[in-house]
Amino acid sequence: MIRHHPAPETLLAHIAGTLEPGHALIVTVHIEACVNCRAEAARLEATGGVLLDELDSEPLSTGAFAAVLARLDEPAPPKPVRPRQADLRLPPGLRLPAALRGTAIGRWLWMGAGLRYSRVTLPWAPKENVMLLRVEGGRRVLRHSHGGAELTQVLWGGFHDITGAYGPGDLQEADETIEHQPLADPEGCLCLAALEGGLRLPWISRLMGK
Amino acid sequence: MSTLETPPPDAAALAALILRVSQKRDRTAYAALFKHFAPRVKAYLRRVGLDGAEAEEVTQEVMLSLWRKADSFDPAIAGAATWIFAITRNARIDLARRRRGLPTTPEPEEEGHSPSAEALTLAYEREALVRAALDTLSTEQQQIVRLSFFSETPHVAIADALGLPLGTVKSRIRLGLAKLRAALEDKT
Repeated sequence: MIRHHPAPETLLAHIAGTLEPGHALIVTVHIEACVNCRAEAARLEATGGVLLDELDSEPLSTGAFAAVLARLDEPAPPKPVRPRQADLRLPPGLRLPAALRGTAIGRWLWMGAGLRYSRVTLPWAPKENVMLLRVEGGRRVLRHSHGGAELTQVLWGGFHDITGAYGPGDLQEADETIEHQPLADPEGCLCLAALEGGLRLPWISRLMGK
Repeated sequence: MSTLETPPPDAAALAALILRVSQKRDRTAYAALFKHFAPRVKAYLRRVGLDGAEAEEVTQEVMLSLWRKADSFDPAIAGAATWIFAITRNARIDLARRRRGLPTTPEPEEEGHSPSAEALTLAYEREALVRAALDTLSTEQQQIVRLSFFSETPHVAIADALGLPLGTVKSRIRLGLAKLRAALEDKT
């Protein structure tokens, strides 16, 4: 049972194409897991279709149709090579979301007692600050706040903090006004998180309370 | 323009045209789709901030994608306009990435999960329902939903442009979307 979803305006921005790439990835992963948000996303996309269809036409240059016709038989561009992904030894039975397939995934790195992270790099937006976060059961991520919005999707296990309890499929949207100290459930927690603003912010040192 | 010109194809006809492109590589059907969608795609791209030359270039890319990706069109999942909207949105995002020398976003791989409940109605019927539901929104709610789609920037900039606090923009979006959802939930 998924209890926490992206805010309506976040889902709308995702469908409109104005969400930052890191956040867009997290919302894509959530939609993959959440049948309700999938239905809502389909409704919003249909809204985009209707609005596009209603626009007053903007004429194309003469020759545009001929130019496209001449290219129809060109071969399609090759698919991008899949980047390297470390073997992360995930909890049994867990598969990484399909939306992560085009990303590069680094090995687990130590971040604190019972706390590891793996950097996720989007080849199409390499400056985005996205990571997998593994917290052992009963461990607490040190109190932190954010320079910008942070989106966290629970892939396995769960955690809770002042804003509520989060389990598999849940998405937490925390803005810069929230200061929280998530505590992992007894079985531990595996999350995918994206922080707004790129690598300018020393996120990890903030997490560590340094 | 001659008044004898045939009326624009409706949603069902547009979906049928895309299927003719995917199944028969039918260039007559493709020409009809180009005539209908290319000027709308270009209008959308202008609205989201591309200049005339860029909008022209990306429109041509979108129309080329229509030809190449026609076999991924599933009328049970999306109406023709919805499908074109998604291709156009992605092409616009990819333009910004190409300019910075970055690769484009990979195509989502089909997971084969059925669209389940949301496909109870045919997708082009959903577009008609959305159109009717949009009409039930207040002018302010319609404006903010339109701006959310037809803006190059996220909600913070929309708030600036309208001279409204961000919280007001968000609550108007929420009210508008809740109303849309209420009008559509049982039917789509």
